[in-house]
Amino acid sequence: MRHLQMITSVLIALLFVNEAYSQTQIARQARADKFALTNATIYTVTNGVIENGTIVINNGVIEAVGSNVTIPSDALVIDYDGREIYPGMIDSGTQLGLVEIGSIAEAQDNREFGDIKPQMEALTAVNPNSVSIPVTRVSGVTTVITAPSGGVLPGIAATINLFGYTTDQMFAGSKGLVINFPNSGRRWRQSKEEAEKARERALKTLNETWDKAEVYAKVLASEDSRYYPEMDAIARVINGELKAYIEVNAAKDILSAIDWVQEKELRDVVFTGVSEGWRVAEEIAESGIPVITGPILSVPTRQSDSYDAAYKNPGIMQQAGIKVALRTNDSENSRNLPYNAGFAASYGMGREEALKAITINAAEIMGLENEIGSIEVGKKANLFIATGDPFETSTQILDVFIDGYQIPMTSRQTELYDEFLNRVPGLNLNPVTTDQ
Amino acid sequence: MKLLRKLTFRLLLLLSFLMVSIQSHAQSDPTGSSPATTTYAITNATIVPSPGIKIEGGTIIISDGLITDVGINVTIPAYAEVIDGTDHYVYAGFIDGMSNTGAKRPEAMERPDNLFTPDPPNDYAGITPEISVVEQLDLDESSIANLRKIGFTISHSVPHGKMLPGKGALILLRDGEHPDDVILKQEVSLLSQFVGAPGAYPGNTLGIMAKWRNLYKNAELSKRHSEMYASNPAGIVRPSQDRVLQAFYPVVDRSQPVFYNAKGMLEARRALSLQREMGFNLAFGNLEQAWPLINDLDKSSVSVFMSLNLPEEPETADNEDLSEEVAQLQARRVEFYNRHMNQFDALNNAGISFGFSTMGVSASKIKKNIVAMQDFGFDSAEALATLTTNAAAILGISNIAGTLEAGKLGNAVVTTGPYFNDESNVKIVFVDGYKYDYEIKESSSTEVSDEIANDVLGTWDYNAISPQGEISGTIIFTDETGELTGTINSAQGMYADVLLSNISYREGTLTFDYTIDFGGQSMELIVTGDIIGSDLEGEISVPAFSTSFPVSATKKDPN
Amino acid sequence: MKKFILNLIIGFGFTTMVMAQATMGDVLIKNGTVLSITNGTLENTDVLIEDGKISQIGQNLSDPGNVEIVDATGMFVMPGIIDAHSHIAGTSINEGTSQVTAEVSMEDVVNPLDVSIYRALAGGVTSIHLMHGSANVIGGQNETLKLRYGTMNPDDLRFEGAPRTIKFALGENPTRGGRRRGIQPQTRMGVEAMIRNSFNDAIEYRKAWNQYNANRSSRKVAPEYDLRMETIVDILEGKILVHSHSYRADEIYMLMSVFSDFGIEKLTFQHANEAYKVAPELAAFGASASIFSDWWAYKLEVYYSTAYNAAILTNNGVNTSINSDSGELIRHLFHEAAKSQKYGGLSDNEALALITLNPAMQLGIENRVGSIDEGKDGDIAIFDKHPLSIYAIPQMTFVDGVKYFDINNDIADQRIMVDPESTIEDVVIFNREDHEICMLEENLVDLYELFNEEN
Repeated sequence: MRHLQMITSVLIALLFVNEAYSQTQIARQARADKFALTNATIYTVTNGVIENGTIVINNGVIEAVGSNVTIPSDALVIDYDGREIYPGMIDSGTQLGLVEIGSIAEAQDNREFGDIKPQMEALTAVNPNSVSIPVTRVSGVTTVITAPSGGVLPGIAATINLFGYTTDQMFAGSKGLVINFPNSGRRWRQSKEEAEKARERALKTLNETWDKAEVYAKVLASEDSRYYPEMDAIARVINGELKAYIEVNAAKDILSAIDWVQEKELRDVVFTGVSEGWRVAEEIAESGIPVITGPILSVPTRQSDSYDAAYKNPGIMQQAGIKVALRTNDSENSRNLPYNAGFAASYGMGREEALKAITINAAEIMGLENEIGSIEVGKKANLFIATGDPFETSTQILDVFIDGYQIPMTSRQTELYDEFLNRVPGLNLNPVTTDQ
Repeated sequence: MKLLRKLTFRLLLLLSFLMVSIQSHAQSDPTGSSPATTTYAITNATIVPSPGIKIEGGTIIISDGLITDVGINVTIPAYAEVIDGTDHYVYAGFIDGMSNTGAKRPEAMERPDNLFTPDPPNDYAGITPEISVVEQLDLDESSIANLRKIGFTISHSVPHGKMLPGKGALILLRDGEHPDDVILKQEVSLLSQFVGAPGAYPGNTLGIMAKWRNLYKNAELSKRHSEMYASNPAGIVRPSQDRVLQAFYPVVDRSQPVFYNAKGMLEARRALSLQREMGFNLAFGNLEQAWPLINDLDKSSVSVFMSLNLPEEPETADNEDLSEEVAQLQARRVEFYNRHMNQFDALNNAGISFGFSTMGVSASKIKKNIVAMQDFGFDSAEALATLTTNAAAILGISNIAGTLEAGKLGNAVVTTGPYFNDESNVKIVFVDGYKYDYEIKESSSTEVSDEIANDVLGTWDYNAISPQGEISGTIIFTDETGELTGTINSAQGMYADVLLSNISYREGTLTFDYTIDFGGQSMELIVTGDIIGSDLEGEISVPAFSTSFPVSATKKDPN
Repeated sequence: MKKFILNLIIGFGFTTMVMAQATMGDVLIKNGTVLSITNGTLENTDVLIEDGKISQIGQNLSDPGNVEIVDATGMFVMPGIIDAHSHIAGTSINEGTSQVTAEVSMEDVVNPLDVSIYRALAGGVTSIHLMHGSANVIGGQNETLKLRYGTMNPDDLRFEGAPRTIKFALGENPTRGGRRRGIQPQTRMGVEAMIRNSFNDAIEYRKAWNQYNANRSSRKVAPEYDLRMETIVDILEGKILVHSHSYRADEIYMLMSVFSDFGIEKLTFQHANEAYKVAPELAAFGASASIFSDWWAYKLEVYYSTAYNAAILTNNGVNTSINSDSGELIRHLFHEAAKSQKYGGLSDNEALALITLNPAMQLGIENRVGSIDEGKDGDIAIFDKHPLSIYAIPQMTFVDGVKYFDINNDIADQRIMVDPESTIEDVVIFNREDHEICMLEENLVDLYELFNEEN
């Protein structure tokens, strides 16, 4: 049956190829051009709000922003009639592109076998043609960190823009080594003893491996160093060439992780997860380590915690002086990032800080603050146009630009909507019957 | 030829009868273990014939299995062994509401190869209400002696099993040659518990509740059918001889109660629902959480035996450093500890009479727990009633047990001071008129035999390869409590400090079992091994999955 | 230290509450914007609840005296939210050892101690449909509950008078079970066959009993009683509402065909990610759908979903509700419903109906709850902003006119029962997958899962 379908699709595709398409736009293709987006309220994030603003996009970057911008004569002008423009949202933790269908092992590439596999590159396994990617970007999320998981050292996460046909086209320029810090909390069905034993094992593994890598890092410079890819990857962190994303959640563990980071003298470190960050916000702030937390729409870590502990978490941390970015930690529903931010905003973070947490803060944490995260001249043209506050569900996203390309506002889900809203044929009251 | 065989058979039968009667009236006992007399008089003791009543300087005569006299000016028979009871207390022998005392857990059934999980064989599913605990009684079981040592004389013993393990019996906690020797009353209960079939229907509470309703309803129909057939079978298809349904008949006609082993409050409520729906007589055999149910227990006519398994008192650190949150969380734990401990008094105040059950508690903890209750408004008279008169009433043996009265069974406990004081010890226990003496030691370490002390005590490192992978860890045997106890740990983190049960060491072979929590379900593991020096070689069997695998262990050098 | 104990005594007063039967309350909610669902939006309107029922709706209602008064000026008053698919408040979820278990019932495993209940109240939810799991083709009976948190008696949570409902499951979950155990069904064909077989067995069973009952001479022997067959007979006679877990359009269509053949008229499809593909057929049958707002791609059968499902179904005349199937999602169902405005532009009232009147109809309790109408139960949720706004924060939740959640009187530790031997710091790090009990229902030949009582 599958073969027949494939052949049919190929035949249909061939039919289309024969048509002349040089002039007309194929509905599913992005548009490359010099753009002037006019008559919009621009939320720059770093430079306030510009009323009646214009943005000029050329060669993938923002060439001009302001209320009195000269529009180049060869620019394609789009009048947005008072709508709002925001920097493309950044989801600082996903498995997007690595996980296609959650229950099928063949459709998941985020979790390699083994405990110590820091050299695994998530970027190389990203499927640029994942169905989830268009589904995500039409909601205004333009950039995500996609990360490997499992074991103590799962691999290297990468930041990708959600547009491109190869991973090189998608790569946004930042990577980080993921470390799953030994977890004193338990997983849902785990017993306390099992959790404690697992934690001890993980701690032993982490420390032994790291010690070995420190030795390796020193030896690395010499000619005789053997090829040891696991150590290689860790050595890059030790030598300050690669940042580390440390996944840590329980309050006790966060404090241990802070000590560990200081003991190992690591400079470029980010804590991810941080579900109980609100309990040790002062200590985290003092350490200067930035935080990526989420999903905000999450249950509290303790039965005795208040129902809104997770909602309030980012706000409390931000107010303690921590730089906070938000993540969904999802693969196919990263599109809910603005709603996670909305809840964070409602429960103490405030709209402005919540918006920063999914734009400029994320960019700064990744070291990409010169490229993305706000609408400024010289930055990449990653932005979206909305009918209103992107945190509100009544808002529609009208247009998305990534790397200066105007992205087709279609995904499989919108196409299914188009096909089935008024299905043809509808209810067929006289079904065709065969004699068999 | 046939005639000869018949004659031979009858002759043998006659001979065996003779032999039996010869044995019971034997005068000569080469072992020297028969008692010198079966009449005992304890004099000048504080006798507590029933809770709240004291006879100072009293005397009690137990003779040929019965109490024959209690009082102050009692004539002591000439052939009595006189025991000076000065400064001692005498109570009626305690009655245990429900436990597996004396019952040896049978070997687990192997999982059939083509197990059809929706409809497994009844015995595999644990639906065996027709079995009597008598079939599982093994008089060598240490549980009998252990309970007796702390003053228990009668136990309502129930069989091991799953959802419907079978019928309980009242047994006397005495020695005997044959299980029949200890039976006081059979078929006294039908045990039920929320334990599912291993990997088959019914697997959990959902299936168990539905199965119960189905069985009961069909038992009602089948009983009616049988009665109809018995009175006049003409034209009626013969009734099924389903032993499971037949086992329910006495429950259906209300002559036999269902004893539910429901410990927690929610489980108890499920049992109460079944009772409300179907109307059978219900008793809780081992209830831990009665306090949330007091109103419902009050209104229903459910009998209650409270578990002697009490929670450990929660620690409350009291330093200044404590955050508000931790202080509150600690206070909440204490609040619920108190509620648990207060429930015995609360039950009394509500007028609900209850007994105690020793199921799942190690005998060494029982007295400690009863004494602890006295800090919570539950005084010694109430405790004594719970251990004796209440239990006897619920079990329907008030006419023969529960108090020290002439004519009742010779069951009594003699202690070196009031039983409910920490420092007092049990000196003598009478069961069925047989006397059992106990030595009072300063430290309690000689209960364990030298052989065991030498071979078994210590810390063992064990290693086994199970189908799921390596299992290893340590087993520690000690005799600190006066009897042989042990705990086991798993290095893989599956379990920690699990108490071992049924530890026995005979002729170089050590056996014990323990139960772990495997994903919310209890799973039993049975270990059998031969000890040679400091090495143990044997087998771990897991009845639930009908698998067993080899295990070896080495005793650690204490140095 | 003493202050804390004092707080405890005040705060935990409710834990000593003993409800012989459900407590009924009185309250006058004044001057709010009432989102009635059935009668539009009523500005500056009062709602009076007496003895647990809405007795009056109007402006400037007089205080009947001795009634608690809530000033809802500037706030939004909506019917308590109803979650038509939940697994909180239960000690077991799935009797997975057989593929047909119509005889079991969730009423036997209700757990009033689950803190998730309180957390749901804090999200404006007042009633839930506690469902059996989805491992069996014909699963167990579900139980409709009201979230009367604070009691230790499971009976206090029962939604008295709610119709009986039962769980069916189609697609990957039951077929995976068959494959693991080496029995039928292992394909969608087998699923249909099992349903037809069960129905036909029940018809035979009914015939035998009808014959017996018709001619009740004292010499007749009753046939064997089978609670499973009894239940399926009740399904055939329309006495039990069927809620079927399903995803693919073809299996949704299949079940409607089977039900047509057997004359069963009422049917609700649960999850039904592809229901939108057969929306016209659903509307014609009169079947309903209870769906997620936007969950997809976690299994192959939901790979071709669209978040526009609710909008397409609603626009095609299918009664649609949005459910949670999760102890996490249940807390913000108002936000999930609001997504139907992003995906398909449903109106405010259409969106709110997805979590109020529509699920009430699917559970057969629309005469009692689901809208603010005189005579209905006093199940109310009050928000500080319009509930469809992301910035709305639930303020108070009433069930039967009794306030079970008040944001100004909320203590962190809401546990009703605490194990004295538990540790103080018990941290559980949740993963997304941990919530999706129904979706990734592992099958029970995996012995670990099989014995899992507690979820």
